[in-house]
Amino acid sequence: MRALTAVVAARLYVQRRIVLYSFVAALIVGSLQPQGAVGPILFCSLLGIIAALAQSPGRSPHLDRCEQSAPLYGRELARAKALVPCVAAGLGALVYAGAALARGAFDAPLTFAITLAAVVACTLVALSATLRQGSSRGLYVLLACAASAIAYALGVVLHVFAAELAFCVFVSFFALRQYGEALARYDPI
Amino acid sequence: MALLRMRNAAFSLGTCSAGPVTLDVRPGERTALPVGSPQEAAVIALMAAGIAKASSGCVLIGDYDPRVQSVNCKRIAGFVPHEPVSVQERDFAGYIAYRAALWKVNTRNALAYAAVLRERLADMHEAFAYPLIGALIGMPKLVVLDRPELAYAPQILAVTETRAVFSTHTNAAAAHAFGRPHALAMTRA
Repeated sequence: MRALTAVVAARLYVQRRIVLYSFVAALIVGSLQPQGAVGPILFCSLLGIIAALAQSPGRSPHLDRCEQSAPLYGRELARAKALVPCVAAGLGALVYAGAALARGAFDAPLTFAITLAAVVACTLVALSATLRQGSSRGLYVLLACAASAIAYALGVVLHVFAAELAFCVFVSFFALRQYGEALARYDPI
Repeated sequence: MALLRMRNAAFSLGTCSAGPVTLDVRPGERTALPVGSPQEAAVIALMAAGIAKASSGCVLIGDYDPRVQSVNCKRIAGFVPHEPVSVQERDFAGYIAYRAALWKVNTRNALAYAAVLRERLADMHEAFAYPLIGALIGMPKLVVLDRPELAYAPQILAVTETRAVFSTHTNAAAAHAFGRPHALAMTRA
């Protein structure tokens, strides 16, 4: 737990500018588009993908090296690194919901719940792109967008929140597992 | 029993190749390995620290194979990268707390030990001193140095005390400063 907290705190601190800009952007977009679920799901999924891609090896070389040389199991490191973009995107969704609520969107809490589920699934799928290059990297980003779109269809178009939640939990579980396995096999050279 | 055993250990991925290297580093020994290029030096150091896996041959760190027991290897070997870190003096305590959390050592003890090491490395630039201090707070039995600075050889060797040291270099003068002359003979197969 200490290692997880340390990795999350260190990465959020290093990427504080990206996180801060995403909050400001969420505040502006939330104020401009307070109604409906398309805006928050689309925007916050994009934030999640950007935050996930910011965990790519080489963007914070010293943190990467510290994590790689530390006696941590692949799954521990995967959980910690996965939590970073999820926290950033989740807080972005919260800021969006806050801005929408302030503009009189009284369904913002429910929209926030739908958005959070979609954003977490999308972010975790996008994380696998960080360990790949070329077309497979693009494919994982597309998969992340597809996960978000399916969550939107289930939660908003079909109005089955339970199905959306189940889908997102299922996708998140396998995406995190896949990321952990990829991270354990990953060679830093 | 050797702390580090490399037997025809080689790494190859695309245009990047290193080795083969055959050597033993026993407890308390200091072995310096001069190699032809910075990239090769970095890769061999990463293999010796259990971070990169050898493509062929064998690397054992205290009887553990980095391919299957990398966590055990990383508890034995502390890695000090060549690149300086951009951690400022005011962030030193935070940096040590972060490293202590990753290595699961007591933060208070780590800070106390780090303060002692910082005092002993007062002449050394903090960008080079901090990664070394960070590696030593995990109490490794083997310290792996990737192309350490020749100018700081006496300070570095003084703080490593009786620990085994393995270092890679791109020039013979630095290798002589960090390892015993006989160690240079038992390098490449």
